[in-house]
Amino acid sequence: MFPTSTQKKHWMFTDELELQRLREEANQKFIAKHRNGIEDVDGYFLTIAEERIFLKNYELQMRDLCNKFNPAMPKAVIGTSFHYFKRFYLHNSVMDYHPKEILVTCVYLACKTEEFNVSISQFVANIRGDRDKASDIILNNELLLMQLLNFHLTIHNPYRPVEGLLIDIKTRSQLAYPERLRPGIDELLEKVFLTDACLLYAPSQLALAAVLHAASKIHENLDAYVTETLLGPNTQQRLVDLIEAVRKIRSMVKSVEAPARETVKIIEKKLEKCRNQENNPNSQIYKQRMQEILDEDDEKEMERYKRLMQKHAQVDAQTLGIDRISSPGN
Amino acid sequence: MDDQACPRCKTTKYRNPSLKLMVNVCGHALCESCVDLLFLKGSGSCPECDVPLRRSNFRVQLFEDPAVEKEVDIRKRVLKDFNKKEEDFSSLNEYNDYLENVETIIFNLTNNIDVMETNKRIEQYKRDNRELILKNKIKIGREELELEELLEEEKHIDQIRKKEIVKEELELKRKKIKEKEDLIDELMFSNQDAKKIVNEFAQISQAAAKEMESSKPTAPPRASQFSTGIKFGRTSQQSAYHIPIIEDGPLYTYKEPEIVVDGPEPPVWSEIETGRYIVHMRPETVEERAGGYTANIACMRALQEAFMGLYHVSRPEQGQSS
Repeated sequence: MFPTSTQKKHWMFTDELELQRLREEANQKFIAKHRNGIEDVDGYFLTIAEERIFLKNYELQMRDLCNKFNPAMPKAVIGTSFHYFKRFYLHNSVMDYHPKEILVTCVYLACKTEEFNVSISQFVANIRGDRDKASDIILNNELLLMQLLNFHLTIHNPYRPVEGLLIDIKTRSQLAYPERLRPGIDELLEKVFLTDACLLYAPSQLALAAVLHAASKIHENLDAYVTETLLGPNTQQRLVDLIEAVRKIRSMVKSVEAPARETVKIIEKKLEKCRNQENNPNSQIYKQRMQEILDEDDEKEMERYKRLMQKHAQVDAQTLGIDRISSPGN
Repeated sequence: MDDQACPRCKTTKYRNPSLKLMVNVCGHALCESCVDLLFLKGSGSCPECDVPLRRSNFRVQLFEDPAVEKEVDIRKRVLKDFNKKEEDFSSLNEYNDYLENVETIIFNLTNNIDVMETNKRIEQYKRDNRELILKNKIKIGREELELEELLEEEKHIDQIRKKEIVKEELELKRKKIKEKEDLIDELMFSNQDAKKIVNEFAQISQAAAKEMESSKPTAPPRASQFSTGIKFGRTSQQSAYHIPIIEDGPLYTYKEPEIVVDGPEPPVWSEIETGRYIVHMRPETVEERAGGYTANIACMRALQEAFMGLYHVSRPEQGQSS
């Protein structure tokens, strides 16, 4: 139930300004930590605007990955992946964790939480490039992702509310062939996830916006259904709020545009320099750290073995010692 | 001792040192050979009082006076039934009256006073208190079992202790011998004053003896620990008979889950069927129904989710909380 969920409690925000503020905090925190006396902050580190463009680019990539996924994935997995991705970069900087890694991890985790069963090998078959490395990255990042999402893994997607609204429209409104609305609904919901609307509005509101958008596309009018049937009488203020929400969602969706490829390339280059090398699987530091973790495990094994041997030696010494003492008495 | 004699064949202990007197329930003694002779067939009557007896009931006479044997026998038999305990009575006086009554019965039976009457009394008592007798019998049986176990354990501990003592003594001896040898060695090869060496060794052996003494008291506590340990063992055994009591928490009471809608009221269950909502759902297949799925569950869920949160408005104070 959405009204009692962690989604409403922890991941619904007042407006876009608040989201902006949180992202700024994450950005500033990273810069403060990794500045090390660098003068030209804006020139060296990514700015908020650059981060936003970069993330938008990866959101588009995520959409393509999900749509081309084999076996075809349910829509709820796509919605959940986008939720995770957006939530993650609210509190973390792009420079700290590269989005191309977080992206695949989000999709992989969403497959699990939405009960879409794919194995890791099946999953990486959908990714270009080195697959062994990809599966390593995904599995290494999975727990980190869950932790940084604060283990709030249940996502309420707008897809089921859409079904509910369609059933309700079929039952209680005069609209002919409501199934005609489907293409319009799908179009809007796909774009909705490229905006921050899912962090600001309830899934049922997104669903209603999608249904109304689809209705206007086929030149039908559902206003009467919304005002009279759905909300009923004596809900003037509610109606105003709801209409405002729907209007806002639709305008957010309209403003979506893909970032220019050149800008993304420039940012990518800049990021390679300023990103946190500890989280870069290609970097020397990362490899060194992984090696250290492995060595540590080995060392622990060795130590245990050593202790065991010592104990054995002690026991041996004791038994032998007793023999030595008792022999002269005989 | 020597005047012990079989009343039938007049053999005495003096003439036959291996004489064994046997008694039966009537309390008259017979020697072993007479029993063999008279009760060849397994049963017969007592040569003195003509009471019918069984051979298997003969046993060796323990007391000099065969009358005592008889009493012991009777007492055993009577107490089997008169097995009430002090706890079974409300007052001490009642208990004492009961004990006296029991003694009277035993006395009467032993001395053949009103035998018929007394037997009747016993029968009456048995009938009146059948349940209590049975209950106490079980209890006594259990106690006896515990006692046996206890004895067994004590025996075992005793053995261990004995072994330890033997071991200690052996060690002590060995030590003494070794000390002596050391002393002699020292006297033979050392250049020091002989007196001094002897003194030194005496001191060492004294210290060792003291040490032994101080270490000795550690043994008795161990023994007492055992004896207390028995007590613990016994109580734990007793508790093992009881079924552990599982404390029940407060009873579960069903509470209707509270559904927060934050939107227009979704339809209720009856409306799903009658309000033609269900018409727009794919009906469940037979297999799905076997698994517990029905179309109206999915229908209800979709509708509820569609209506929930429609009134959601992010107010500034909500945003601050995260």
